[in-house]
Amino acid sequence: MILFIVLWVALSPLGWLVTDAMNMTGAPASKVMEEIQQTIQVFTIVSMPLCAFVLAVLLYSLFGWKHVQGDRPKFESPAIRTNRVGVGLWVGATSVLALFLVGWGLVELAQITANAYGTIPSDEQPDDEKPLIVNVTGQQWVWTFEYPEHDRVTSAQLYLPVDRPVYFNVTSKDVIHNFWAVELGVKIDANPGAITQTGVTPNKIGTFNVRCAELCGLHHAYMQTKIRVVDNDDFNSWVREMGGQKTS
Amino acid sequence: MTIAPPRTTRRSSTTSRTSSRTGSADAARANRGGAGLKQDGGGRGGSGAVARVFGNPVPQPPQHGKPGGLLRHLNLGTALLLGSVMALGFGYLANRLTKSGATDATFAPLAPEYIYLAGLFGWTLGFSIGIGAFDGPVRWLLGRELTHADAEYLAGKNLGWQRYFKYTTDHKVVGIQYLVAAMVTLGFGGLLAMLIRTELGVTWAEVFTPSIYNSIIGTHGIAMIIAMIVIVMGPVGNFIVPMMIGARDMAFPRLNALSLWLFVIALVCLISSLFVGGVQDGWSVYQPLAAQSPPGMLGYQMTIIIFAISTGVASVNLIVTILLMRAKGMTWVRTPIFVYGVFGAAIMGLYAFPFYQYSQLLAMSDRILDTSFFVPLQGGSVWLYENLFWLLGHPEVYVILLPSTAIMLELMPVFYRKPLFSFNFAIAGIVGVVALSGLVWAHHMYMTGWAPSANYPFMLSTELISIPVGFLVLVAIGTMWRGTVWTRLPVMAIYALVFNKIIGGITGIYLSDVPVDQYMHGSMFVVAHFHYMLMGAGLFGAMGGIAYFFPKMTGRMLDERAGSIGLWTAFAGFQLTFGSMFVAGLQGQPRRVLQFDDLFNISNWLSTIGAFVIGLGMLIFMGAIISSWIAGKKAPANPWGSKSLEWQTPTPVPLENFEVLPVVTSRPYDYGVPDPYDAKMLADEKAREKQTAKVAV
Amino acid sequence: MKRALITLVSVIVGVGIVVGVGYVAFVASEEPAVIVAKPNGTMQTPKGELPHAVLDLSVYPNSSKDVPAPKTANAIQANWLSGQPFYGPSTSIQVPANSVVTINFTQYDGGGTIYNDFFARVHGSMDGTISWNGKSVKSIPQDQMAHTFTVHQYPESTQPYFFLSVPLPQNPPDAKTNKAGFAEQPQQISVTFITGEAGTYIWNCEFPCGDLYQEFGGPMQTRGWMAGTFEVV
Repeated sequence: MILFIVLWVALSPLGWLVTDAMNMTGAPASKVMEEIQQTIQVFTIVSMPLCAFVLAVLLYSLFGWKHVQGDRPKFESPAIRTNRVGVGLWVGATSVLALFLVGWGLVELAQITANAYGTIPSDEQPDDEKPLIVNVTGQQWVWTFEYPEHDRVTSAQLYLPVDRPVYFNVTSKDVIHNFWAVELGVKIDANPGAITQTGVTPNKIGTFNVRCAELCGLHHAYMQTKIRVVDNDDFNSWVREMGGQKTS
Repeated sequence: MTIAPPRTTRRSSTTSRTSSRTGSADAARANRGGAGLKQDGGGRGGSGAVARVFGNPVPQPPQHGKPGGLLRHLNLGTALLLGSVMALGFGYLANRLTKSGATDATFAPLAPEYIYLAGLFGWTLGFSIGIGAFDGPVRWLLGRELTHADAEYLAGKNLGWQRYFKYTTDHKVVGIQYLVAAMVTLGFGGLLAMLIRTELGVTWAEVFTPSIYNSIIGTHGIAMIIAMIVIVMGPVGNFIVPMMIGARDMAFPRLNALSLWLFVIALVCLISSLFVGGVQDGWSVYQPLAAQSPPGMLGYQMTIIIFAISTGVASVNLIVTILLMRAKGMTWVRTPIFVYGVFGAAIMGLYAFPFYQYSQLLAMSDRILDTSFFVPLQGGSVWLYENLFWLLGHPEVYVILLPSTAIMLELMPVFYRKPLFSFNFAIAGIVGVVALSGLVWAHHMYMTGWAPSANYPFMLSTELISIPVGFLVLVAIGTMWRGTVWTRLPVMAIYALVFNKIIGGITGIYLSDVPVDQYMHGSMFVVAHFHYMLMGAGLFGAMGGIAYFFPKMTGRMLDERAGSIGLWTAFAGFQLTFGSMFVAGLQGQPRRVLQFDDLFNISNWLSTIGAFVIGLGMLIFMGAIISSWIAGKKAPANPWGSKSLEWQTPTPVPLENFEVLPVVTSRPYDYGVPDPYDAKMLADEKAREKQTAKVAV
Repeated sequence: MKRALITLVSVIVGVGIVVGVGYVAFVASEEPAVIVAKPNGTMQTPKGELPHAVLDLSVYPNSSKDVPAPKTANAIQANWLSGQPFYGPSTSIQVPANSVVTINFTQYDGGGTIYNDFFARVHGSMDGTISWNGKSVKSIPQDQMAHTFTVHQYPESTQPYFFLSVPLPQNPPDAKTNKAGFAEQPQQISVTFITGEAGTYIWNCEFPCGDLYQEFGGPMQTRGWMAGTFEVV
């Protein structure tokens, strides 16, 4: 029992350590990412008791209850076939845990989907903001981005204005790629012959990464580019620099 | 009311759970190879041998030629020879028939493809003919039934060491052949793993060019998957299960041999692919990337097509054997948990592998016949491939996991000397996993965008499947509860298994959640998770199972010191490697990349060091197996004091397994439970009755 | 004792096999020799006066007696890639850091229509243009493309972001070719760009000129042919 408590306490910091690892490149940069991290933290904290209990039994079985070595032992252990209370507790606990995680996850997914498509605005965003549309094209092995509403300006880097929802229409010209805007917490496959969609509202200014997360051939590891989230004025001047007349 | 004790019990030190009764009633039931079947003239008797059952002759079909027929001359050597000759011959033929410089619509040269495919086909056909796989169908066509002498020859009676290199139907021989083939495949995969970690550890340069690296990771993946599927179901499933259920052999002995030799054929196809460009598209070879790959892809497709047949045949064999050939008295309640585990795995393998074979057949047809199942430019669908693939891909991991877990649950009662905790929930866990395994596949496709609203029900089913898996952990720790453990090598693996399974299971819960998967999919977090489940729980469980059955299978005791050093070294390295890999994944390292941001350097250096430690540990364990096999201490018939049927046979196990087929009268794992037939108990009972009778009077 | 010896021998043999196979794979991964941009005085740029370096590259439609194909790992791969286009003399390129570099391309191959017109335009050059047979242009017509020279990211975030894409036009279908199939009057393209701090990058062609699906297989996915490394030192 004591072992259980000790292990539980020892394992608890994991909940924060995992998100620390995720934040090393500047995450979270959007509400979606923040919610993902919260989910991970909750899952970790809630799973810790189960993990600690099992580990405690493992350790105690070796060091608490007796153990013998060598040739065949002459003893026989207590013939516990089953234990209604124990089994009931375990089944109950794991079922409750699983259902809680499912429930949390389903609600979370619905929220993120709504958030991704700009129907839930982030805190600092003006209410009449129109979403930005970016066509993302993955080609072996370069990402190219097109801004259809800004005179079809194209770029190899992804410039985004902060606090404005952006829809991505993602496709591929050849094989399956995966558009992963790492710190924004957005990921969707780029399929040839189909357009998939996702969206996010970046809420932090900075430089982030796009990585390809589906093996796509020789230079899959090198299919990366930068996301530059800048404030609205900088975004407009960048659009003008790239030759687009229409700015937001 | 006293119960008459049986007249003969065959073991003395432990209380028995079976009683074997001789008598004519049993003789009638003794079938399929027959109990006490005697042959006049014995040995390789030719004509004039009469098969008898307890003295009564059994009429035999006419004997054509010497027993065994053509198979007397066919062995691995002839198979290799014929396979190579036909491979070269078919390849040459394809070369002649293909116009020089012919290309397909996309300018790819056709000749290498056709030559390689023809060569693979020639190899398969030649090897099968050369090993004697067609002996059965040809006999059937000619109307020649197997006589008893033929069957005994096929089973390798009196053939000595040569029977391991022939198309032998004896399940024990097939089990050993599977063990060797699976270890070779594991070694091949492990070799590639060391190369992968070398590349990822050298973070400042590319050690291998990206196409060779992609080829190494793809081949490592598929080789390890194949090895893990086979590692418990093959050796232990074949060698032990018939004995465990009290049968003489499996239901279809010739299919048993076929499944093994098809596996060998498939393995060679896979290794050959490395020399023609390799499999550069991961083990899942997504289309349309696979349509850009060099001819090595044909090798992969052929490997899978043949391996799927091998697994299908083996699954059918196991299912029928377990359903119909359990000993008298072995009701489902009295069946050992390992049999349930193998049964569940066989069912999943049976329904899932055809999807895999189908996906590769269609992919091969796209490549050779210019169809467009998966080619988007011509109207095909990439999502179709992904669905077909993952319909296998998910049940398959349970095919890997269930036998390893079941073998550990099987051996735990022996070493804790107490019954398996909550046998019913162990069965419920296995049934739950089998039932749900076919409903969760699209959790591998959360991020593909194929059906965003389908993510919800698949998330539900995936989270639910963690509950039956949890039952298995419950049974394991319940069996440990208040048990004194006899710390020998086989049972120490359960600690490794449960530890790794808990970590793997919980990280699986993370991945099953779609929002979290939105970050984690395609990152090293996924890689670490499945290695924890498949290698951490699967491989360490398999190692424990093999250590447990080593005395029965090879007649020698496994060197515990070397084996334990190997196991725990590998375990320590394993935690270092894949623990750091979780961190790399959380930081954002994608998978299947050979160069990455400086941020991930430290995790990868630690993983590489850990990987070399794993390699060392696995080599030590393999060395222990080899050295014990050659020069180990000779093993007694029942070194672990187990009560289950397979340990009641002598070592080395005779051809018919049991002289008389056993009858089962009690539940398995009755350790710690007083035996109702115990002599002392019966004497006490008698004394008590006399007492009460006296008092009454 | 005997057991321990056999175990030890097994371990040593195992390690030997791993090292042996690794070495074979390493040798098969050899990249072509590095070609270095030659220094050529200084040049005036918007960032001031910088040292100038020049590099010459050619694109061949297939190998010939005078222009042999790049080295391959084995004869089977050589067979598989025969008749495919490649860059010469090498695909491992090295240019100096903090300089202005000019690369002169001699393009001998025919071409077609590119399906992603992003790569028909020039990206990353000093003034946004390239010189095509003497004329200064910002892009090549989409249906006259032959290859591209596209340099892009290594996944290091500590090195500067660098993206350069040069479209290479085709020799028209009716151009005169010599015995080996090379155009007699190849297209000459020249691009000038400024390099930043040191870093390692990757380049590959983005016009599908190989075979198999979308013509992105074969040489497009083989280092030494249509893909290579680009080092800024």
